[in-house]
Amino acid sequence: MSEFLNNIKNQFEKFCGENPSNDIVNDFRIKSFENFNNLGLPTTKDEDWRFTNLNEFYKNQYSIPPTKKEFNKNLISNSISDLDAHFIYLYNGKLVENDNIDNVVIKSLSSFLNEADLNTFNRFVDNHSVKNRDFTFELNSAFINDGVFIDVNEKAVIDKPIVLINYFDSSTSFSSYRNLINFNTLSSGQVVEYTFSDRDINFFSNKTTSFFLGDSTNVEHLSIDESSYHSYIFSNLKISQTNDSNFTTDSILIGGKIYRNNVHPVLNGQGSNSNILGLYLSKENQHMDNYMFVEHVEPNCGSRQLYKGLLKDSSKGVFHGRILVHNEAQKTDAKQTNRNLLLSDKAQVDTKPQLEIYADDVKCTHGATTGQIDKEALYYLRARGINLEDAKLIMIRSFTEELLEFINSNFILELHKKIVEEWFLNSDLAKTD
Amino acid sequence: MLEIVDLHAKIEDKEILKGLSLKINEGEVHSIMGPNGSGKSTLASILAGKEDYDITDGDILFNGESILEMAPEERAQEGIFLAFQYPIEIPGVTNSYFLREALNSIRKSKGENPLKPVEFVKIAKEKIKNLKMDESLLNRSLNEGFSGGEKKRNEILQMSILDPCMSILDETDSGLDIDALQIVANGVNSHRSPDKSFLVITHYQRLLNYIVPDFVHVLVGGKIVKSGDKSLALELESKGYSWLES
Repeated sequence: MSEFLNNIKNQFEKFCGENPSNDIVNDFRIKSFENFNNLGLPTTKDEDWRFTNLNEFYKNQYSIPPTKKEFNKNLISNSISDLDAHFIYLYNGKLVENDNIDNVVIKSLSSFLNEADLNTFNRFVDNHSVKNRDFTFELNSAFINDGVFIDVNEKAVIDKPIVLINYFDSSTSFSSYRNLINFNTLSSGQVVEYTFSDRDINFFSNKTTSFFLGDSTNVEHLSIDESSYHSYIFSNLKISQTNDSNFTTDSILIGGKIYRNNVHPVLNGQGSNSNILGLYLSKENQHMDNYMFVEHVEPNCGSRQLYKGLLKDSSKGVFHGRILVHNEAQKTDAKQTNRNLLLSDKAQVDTKPQLEIYADDVKCTHGATTGQIDKEALYYLRARGINLEDAKLIMIRSFTEELLEFINSNFILELHKKIVEEWFLNSDLAKTD
Repeated sequence: MLEIVDLHAKIEDKEILKGLSLKINEGEVHSIMGPNGSGKSTLASILAGKEDYDITDGDILFNGESILEMAPEERAQEGIFLAFQYPIEIPGVTNSYFLREALNSIRKSKGENPLKPVEFVKIAKEKIKNLKMDESLLNRSLNEGFSGGEKKRNEILQMSILDPCMSILDETDSGLDIDALQIVANGVNSHRSPDKSFLVITHYQRLLNYIVPDFVHVLVGGKIVKSGDKSLALELESKGYSWLES
């Protein structure tokens, strides 16, 4: 671990030298790196990392990414490139190209950081709840430079979904980037983040996406990560919601050797609502750790978590569902569900709810289930002439499709289905124990 | 069509069937009656290919071929249908999708082209109309939240759509009120033809007023102890089973 820390320290010094910025940013980087050092690297003795052992990750050495290059768009899967959408392209974390969208300002994060005054900086970068300090987020803050800033004008209704494509090639080793997406009052839209990489590369991805939802905004988000099965992915999704805003996020986890998926919505305005959906599809020796932290700050807000795991081979899943209801947040309605379908005797899931409620008039429920495909149901389907493999697929589909009920956007719904079906096809589901 | 020869079967270490023999020809309706625990439902499950049982002796021939090594889906594709005593609920799978998959699997095994959703719905709606059932049945999740009667009617609808030549009804009458019983019986009767056979397993004689069998067999202790025509059912109704249990 000390070698890993030394490596990161060297990279941080190199990074600061290569990416000089203004005092606000420089100070923030240094402060964040100190926070990272003070937190230290987690072990399984830390409650928040109890089920995820990072020892093999700490044995690697990583270096910050090379300068940007031209994006070969032929590498993008047709399922994505054929979409009728506005595209934004990031290559190894850096913004390389984007479509122009009416009523939307798009710029690289580094230009945003260079131009931002202290107020703006604090609002978008240094204003996150610190109720849950996490080394990945502090490290992401220390290395703040890459990524994109998207600002949707007041009252704008974006005509087509925005699709952000993040591509990593084999020259990537350590990538840290942050996407800031701001929806001003009364605006609405759909944002898809699609991440992929060259096959079989071992890289360390530490990404943060922060959404800011103004009053009466309506936003749907889908995140798909199909990065290499040898990568270590640490993802932070932070959402800050003000009055009467509606947010739905749906994550499909496919890539990564170890994937840590932190999702942190903060319901900061009355009457806001958050749907937090996710599907982790793991196989072989993949390890997917979902850490939900839903923070209810203001009264009369609702949150609905539905995370489902489909685990094959010797893969492991974790679901940690934390809900924090602050004492002002009366009439909170928070619901959490985690369901897992194990497709092998060797697959394993650890699930843990954690409710902290400081208000007295709230509705807070949680539930978790883990099981295998129901044998009686399989027999019933087979007794009607359906082959074992098809019967399994029907049962698996019926398991994953529960998520679709919570997705409003037809675009996101269809894309979700397509990506999941592709995974089914590529995963030899019939060959389960 | 179906010939069961000296069948012995056990589950875990308990022997349930102890030398059962039965022959069903084309177009015949046979009924098996018997007290609880006599092995009626075990026989139904074994015929459909449930894997929980050990066949220790004997054979089951379907059109002259042994089916013991066949998977449940292969038996269904050959034309064996079991109406379940307790149909399984499968949330998230619509009845319509399930039935189309089932029918297309059977068609595929015969080298026929799969039906498109529109083509399937047309057939399904016609069958539903004949059975005097509600069309909304098709769009509901398979058996989810169905009443006992609806589940049984849905089994008969499946039978009608999949059009098997050998139908086994496992206590389809249990838990049905008289109206539902008639709907189920009409479904079976309209499916009767010279090339289709039935094995009706029941606890009560009542169903046999509506589905009139050619033969009645009494199953006690894992063996058929008496066979006769439909009058045997009436005799059982008045005398019970105890006189046959030794």
